[in-house]
Amino acid sequence: MATTFPLTNLSGAAARKATRATTEGVFIRWFLIGITVLFLGVFLFMPLAVVFSSALAKGFSVYFAALREPDALAAIRLTLIAAGIAVPMNLVFGVAAAWAIGKFDFFGKNFLITLIDLPFSVSPVVSGLIYVLIFGLQGVMGPWLAEHDIKIIFAVPGIVLATIFVTFPFVARELIPLIQAQGNEEEEAAITLGASGWQTFFRVTLPNIKWGLLYGMILCNARAMGEFGAVSVVSGHIRGRTNTMPLHIEILYNEYQFAPAFAVASLLALLALVTLFVKSAVEWKSRQQVAELEVVRVGEPV
Amino acid sequence: MSIQAVNITKRFGRFLALDNVDLEIPSGELVALLGPSGSGKTTLLRIIAGLEFADSGSVRFDGNDISGQTARERRVGFVFQHYALFRHMTVFENIAFGLKVRPRRYRPSNNQIRAKVRELLKLIQLETLAQRYPSQLSGGQRQRVALARALAVEPGVLLLDEPFGALDAKVRMELRRWLRQLHDEIHVTSVFVTHDQEEALEVADRVVVMNNGRIEQLGSPEEVYNHPATPFVYNFLGNVNLFHGRVDDGKTYIHQEETGHVVYVRPHSLEIDRLPNGGSHFRARIKHINSAGPLVKVEAITEWGDPVHVEMAQERFRNLQLIKNENVFIIPKDVRVFESQKKVASK
Repeated sequence: MATTFPLTNLSGAAARKATRATTEGVFIRWFLIGITVLFLGVFLFMPLAVVFSSALAKGFSVYFAALREPDALAAIRLTLIAAGIAVPMNLVFGVAAAWAIGKFDFFGKNFLITLIDLPFSVSPVVSGLIYVLIFGLQGVMGPWLAEHDIKIIFAVPGIVLATIFVTFPFVARELIPLIQAQGNEEEEAAITLGASGWQTFFRVTLPNIKWGLLYGMILCNARAMGEFGAVSVVSGHIRGRTNTMPLHIEILYNEYQFAPAFAVASLLALLALVTLFVKSAVEWKSRQQVAELEVVRVGEPV
Repeated sequence: MSIQAVNITKRFGRFLALDNVDLEIPSGELVALLGPSGSGKTTLLRIIAGLEFADSGSVRFDGNDISGQTARERRVGFVFQHYALFRHMTVFENIAFGLKVRPRRYRPSNNQIRAKVRELLKLIQLETLAQRYPSQLSGGQRQRVALARALAVEPGVLLLDEPFGALDAKVRMELRRWLRQLHDEIHVTSVFVTHDQEEALEVADRVVVMNNGRIEQLGSPEEVYNHPATPFVYNFLGNVNLFHGRVDDGKTYIHQEETGHVVYVRPHSLEIDRLPNGGSHFRARIKHINSAGPLVKVEAITEWGDPVHVEMAQERFRNLQLIKNENVFIIPKDVRVFESQKKVASK
């Protein structure tokens, strides 16, 4: 390395100086840290603690009984089904949309981006209502559906549709900036080397976006399992049949069954914690990848 | 394989990138497309590769019209300015990529692929780095890997887009000499794009000088440098002094005022002396002397107040012992006169 001792010293001094110039007094520092800790404690850690302590308030037997109850099992199953369908569908859609937006220029591109963001800007209740207005008995397609004996609203398909709608943007939003940053050159190189479109996608594009993709899927899954508003509108709250976990929790809570309500809620909280953990791991991994990307881009000389 | 571009026109929106370009590159030649940015050189290269399609005109390889073929079908080797190596693959996997994606019927066996990659690694002198990732290589090494990757599929044509543009001066020099040697060994028809005139003149068999979507001149490096066909080429290839002037009876006169003609003189075609020596000459005052390098660069102010640049050998400079603010005579040795154009593009 070319770095000599005095040079290191100099940069060290410069770094110290910069820190001193931008730092605050001891009192202000502790004050700011205190506020942050207090805020996090009251609004994040306490509720989490309350969920688990309330769930276990009447002992482990009540806790596990609440989870083994048929309606609870049905709700868990339905939540898994909804997320199990919504996440793969939005995975395919998100990759396709991000690929189109990131790699190509076409008329209406900005409109498409706005459209993808729509579920973020629309209230979930409204999202649910849209489906009721389209597929409900009084809706646009209602009579036709009734004639053919197809149930969408107040049934599993409606819940899946609503879940897909509200989790629509996660994968695409995560991938668009990544794909745009990576540019087209590697794909062009693959094609000039004789690769087909699919080969280019699976061997070149996909490996380059896999961490961003995983990250988007994790967020998408968390939202799919926790979605309340839109699903609540289309579900009809039929116990054991159209209740997802969040809806089941609400019903239990409204019936003053606090321990069972919190027991089911603790599952969702647990899911959130696992998601957070995996998300951090993936973020760390994808940051590494971005760092590598930058090294490649800068193209430093020998 | 010979390359022919016939009447190629390409627009990007309102911008005319290529204006009816005709170009023929014989088999086995190493040709440079030289021009400033925006001259259309990269667009022409990408159209030959099939990464871009012309609005009109056709591309032919060995006389066969391949305008309708995709980049995949054309089987050209393409080297990108920023290497475009697959960053999640090792050097070995990068080079093997073009062979591995072939349909099973045409795909060589794993052993054959391994042998081919090893042969190419030897060619680019990176045998020990086969298992490295692109991020662990220097810029020069990456570009060599990119070249090996392009050569692995045994292309009929090798196209290089500013291949040394992202490298520092010293590596660039080494690599371009290496490219020249490589071409002398494998003789694949090669076209490279550059905005560096020195690079084009040193490496290429022939140079295509481009400007504003047109070809200004096509010729050997010697031809384009010593006999520029247009004012643009004169300007772009090396430094030049411009004077107003006129031609009368085969003699060139330099004037102070606008004449409708412009006289082009390279700095090394001007001679400085303390005496007028009988020939045509003008007076000037030395303003600045830079004697670092093989040639001494002198900047002077003409008697009518324009700056003029003169280059001379170190020996001549020592004999003259010029000093700043000294009044001297300047004698033009080799000049070229063009009709003046409103906008003579400068480098």
